[in-house]
Amino acid sequence: MIDFARVQKELQECSRDVEKSGIKVSPKSDGSLARLIGTIPGPVGTPYEGGTFQIDISLPDGYPFEPPKMQFATKVWHPNISSQSGAICLDILKDQWSPALTLKTALLSVQALLSAPQPDDPQDAVVAQQYLRDYQTFVGTARYWTESFAKISSLGVEEKVQKLVEMGFPEAQVRSTLEVVGGDENLALEKLCSS
Amino acid sequence: MSKRVLCKFFAHGACLKGERCEFSHDWKDPSNNVCTFYLKGVCAYGSRCRYEHVKPLRSESPGSSSSTSSRQSLVSDSSPLGHHSQNLSGGVFLTPGVLTELSALSRPFFPSKEPAWKVESEQLDFVDAGNIGGPRTSGPADRPICSFAAAGNCPRGENCPHIHGNICPICGKQCLHPFRPEEREEHLKTCEKKQKNLEALKHSQEIECSVCLERVLSKPTAAERKFGLLSECDHPFCISCIRNWRSSSPTSGMDVNSALRACPICRKLSYFVIPSVIWYSTKEEKQEIIDNYKAKLRSIDCKHFDFGNGNCPFGTSCFYKHTVKPGSYVWKYQRPPPRRPTQRRSNALDMDTLFDMVADLEEMMFDSPEDLDIFCLDPVEIAYVLRQLAVSSDSSSDEEINI
Repeated sequence: MIDFARVQKELQECSRDVEKSGIKVSPKSDGSLARLIGTIPGPVGTPYEGGTFQIDISLPDGYPFEPPKMQFATKVWHPNISSQSGAICLDILKDQWSPALTLKTALLSVQALLSAPQPDDPQDAVVAQQYLRDYQTFVGTARYWTESFAKISSLGVEEKVQKLVEMGFPEAQVRSTLEVVGGDENLALEKLCSS
Repeated sequence: MSKRVLCKFFAHGACLKGERCEFSHDWKDPSNNVCTFYLKGVCAYGSRCRYEHVKPLRSESPGSSSSTSSRQSLVSDSSPLGHHSQNLSGGVFLTPGVLTELSALSRPFFPSKEPAWKVESEQLDFVDAGNIGGPRTSGPADRPICSFAAAGNCPRGENCPHIHGNICPICGKQCLHPFRPEEREEHLKTCEKKQKNLEALKHSQEIECSVCLERVLSKPTAAERKFGLLSECDHPFCISCIRNWRSSSPTSGMDVNSALRACPICRKLSYFVIPSVIWYSTKEEKQEIIDNYKAKLRSIDCKHFDFGNGNCPFGTSCFYKHTVKPGSYVWKYQRPPPRRPTQRRSNALDMDTLFDMVADLEEMMFDSPEDLDIFCLDPVEIAYVLRQLAVSSDSSSDEEINI
């Protein structure tokens, strides 16, 4: 059974210093505390700078004695993150998990992973190969992916809604989808198309 | 001393103790004829009393008064009916002042309904005068301190006939006997210990478990309000959280020995968890808690060892008591029985060999003192061991069957 009291505490703790860390954790729209969305800013001085990355979090029944399942919802070009599924290769989310870690510290670790890729232990072989063989291209691609997927578009929410409605989706659905994906237009479009 | 007072039975010609009597059988010795009731303050017979109603003036001469008081009590004990059955011919000597006052009390005596300390005026004075006469001579160290003052408040204040103790610097109550150094020492010691415990408890209240993020001593049930101390580091957890973690199923390749036995915070390996209701602040305190815990376990018979009939996986490093019963396996053969849990024996040969392998692996894994929470291999651990077995395949099992 998930220790919801602890999850609640973690959320409070996290929202307390969201200004300082930039890390946000909020429950998904269905209200269950077992499924959450984490947001981390791309670390400064990396190709991910300026991006805001969304991470899908689902808590297993054994939480906090089992690690939370985390997966990038935002597409990201990184040797240890699958460019297809968003799966993260990070030891503390697997065998090095400890119940003293929290969602916030885990997300901080993910953020640290963004600034310190480990190409020798890759999740995405293509990216890792590129990182090792042609670092400049890697940086370029990573930056491009950040620009196109992780930037909260300069458009306001209303404009995004309008744009998507113009594409032929019902407005209510557009609004809820945008909310779910955290305002990312591309993700919303993807989701709307798949549903 | 008492030899010097005339035996009143002897005086009446009827002392049964003869030579062995503790009172004097010599007519030259003075007789004791002072009314003990009068000395205590109230004699119901008043002027008709056959005993002398005098204040113990003789108490001024050193030594005599203590004997007087002891003799008085003996006298009154030995002839409680004396007041009734005998005539009043015995020379009754009354001081005039006392006579007038006590004649008013010449009626059956009813004990006062008021608490003793509320009894006012002269009557109280009698009490005090009478009481002090005895003990005053037997050094102040023999007198107890006022229990009211020691408890915090004496209603008699300055006028209290008892010694008021010195104020204890720790508990702030008047409970230090001024003339008994050992007692003072003892009180100070226990008081200090109590105070320390109280402080430790206060300090412990604040401590949070790093797993459930709650204050350990504020958990809902009493069983949960306990710390689980790790032997190798000083990070606080509640007992249920740390036990849960150490016995949780090793998912996604978590290793029992390196991950689960490690402190969730510093990842230092600890081989056992010590339950404690209090959090320590110094190394010595922690050691004391551990020692107490181990001492307690040493008094409990080991379930694995089973008085010499079982096989304890922890061997000589087991924390529990290994009592060898005469006639048991160990008693007969001087070695532990082969590892084969009898109660779990299955008909299938396969199962038996499997258990042997499990047991052996268990030995390999647990050659160091083990977490005491795990009494026997629980299903989770067995599952883990079996999974390991599947990996290491048959190569290892062949040599393990022939133990």
